[in-house]
Amino acid sequence: MPEVRLHYADHLEELERNALGGLDLVVASLDRTMEAVEHQDMELAELVIADDDRIDGRYLEVHQEILTMLATQAPVATDLRLISALLHVMHSIERMGDQCVNISKVIPLTGHDAPVHDEMVDRILLMGKQCRSMTSQSKKAFEARDIELARDLVRQDDLIDNLNKECFKIAVQVGEDKDTREWAMTMMLVARALERIGDNAVDIGEQVAFVVTGLFREFEDASHPGQPTLP
Amino acid sequence: MTETADKTKSDRHAPVATDLAKTAEQGVKRGPDKVERVAKRFQAKDVNLYYGDFHAVQDVTMTIEANQVTALIGSSGCGKTTVLRSLNRMHELTPGARVEGEVVLDDQNIYAPNVDPVEVRRLVGMVFQAPNPFPTMSIYENVAAGLTLNRRGISKTEKSDIVEKSLRGAHLWEEVKDRLDRPGSGLSGGQQQRLCIARAIAVEPEVLLMDEPCSALDPVATLAVEDLIEDLKSRYTIVIVTHNMQQAARASDVTAFFNLEASGKPGRLVEMDATDKIFTTPSKRETEDYVSGRFG
Repeated sequence: MPEVRLHYADHLEELERNALGGLDLVVASLDRTMEAVEHQDMELAELVIADDDRIDGRYLEVHQEILTMLATQAPVATDLRLISALLHVMHSIERMGDQCVNISKVIPLTGHDAPVHDEMVDRILLMGKQCRSMTSQSKKAFEARDIELARDLVRQDDLIDNLNKECFKIAVQVGEDKDTREWAMTMMLVARALERIGDNAVDIGEQVAFVVTGLFREFEDASHPGQPTLP
Repeated sequence: MTETADKTKSDRHAPVATDLAKTAEQGVKRGPDKVERVAKRFQAKDVNLYYGDFHAVQDVTMTIEANQVTALIGSSGCGKTTVLRSLNRMHELTPGARVEGEVVLDDQNIYAPNVDPVEVRRLVGMVFQAPNPFPTMSIYENVAAGLTLNRRGISKTEKSDIVEKSLRGAHLWEEVKDRLDRPGSGLSGGQQQRLCIARAIAVEPEVLLMDEPCSALDPVATLAVEDLIEDLKSRYTIVIVTHNMQQAARASDVTAFFNLEASGKPGRLVEMDATDKIFTTPSKRETEDYVSGRFG
């Protein structure tokens, strides 16, 4: 292969490593976020908020690299699909980082001595673990171009959705105490943000299928739930 | 970049299935926005092309749809220009060259014994790589040259009308209308190429074959010719050979990729499909490697 094209191939690999490396940043941010939730650690929450700049920075960096590559190398076929997918993946990564920030922002609202309801906290911590596992799995699926592993994210996401619904039920029935109700509402915001991180991981899985097959289809269509969208 | 509210999954109205392949498939059937004249379609059936003993192109079967631009791409020596030249019986002008198989224009095999090759070349015009206006002729005479040969006894008025119509058709009229008596060779490269296109369309062909029509032109002139190609497909069937893959991607509806198995082996058609599909999801690895620049 000509030298110029070899550089291009190397550059493309590096671009993918950079973009997918954003998912490691999300995992690190998520770990801190969940620790902050568990211990109502406001200092750690502030660190998560400040550190989101790293994820945003990665987004901008990859975005710029993609623009340069489109302008200078005119990628086509699989390369073009990969680059288009990486743009989507970076957007999902940036949103996942933002959800960690959203969670971290509401932790101070619960206060140091919040009236903790264990049943709800347990479920939220479980959702956090599940999000962590899905984020790592989406990275593995992308790296290996493994559609089955990508589709498995839908099954994993169902667990998160169910936990979210359970949290909602608990919050509705949490009782009359004003402080506890306020705490439960805040925790619902946390659950909601985690549920969105799960959706973002599924979105990354859909991009894996696009890179491999050239077809973009939502694994699950929210407007027509229950209907299979992939052949 | 933090947003407090995120769009919910159910808020999204993303298309349920944006199926690139399906779009590409529609691309095959996609003609120009308006068809001013239904041109003729070509079918090559089991075409084998030879230069003496050398088997240049093997077993090409393809359909070239009317009112579309079909691009032939592939590395040098893969036979794409030879295939192009076989479509108006120019291949056989090379000493020792021969053709096997059928090339059918509408329902007529252009290689049938009763077919006059001169008539074939009137129906199927050719524009060459380097602009080649007749150097001693004026702009007017260049355009009228084919008319003078093909339509003896044509009136002066009719001839002038056709010259103007052809120059307008080739997007050249406004630039040359005040100097029709000046030599064609005095025009710029891009203008000369458009003059050659005007000359080709003056005889009202069905098909225009273009052999790397922009390779000698600068980017501005290239875009002018590509605009013209886009415009011409509402009246003609167009086949273009190009080494410029971005040009194939920009200017054509269908792309056919030719390749050689190895040096000295005959060229063959590897894949032919909607241009969108060839440049996003080609079916064959060989095509993918070529369009992505992974060759050599």
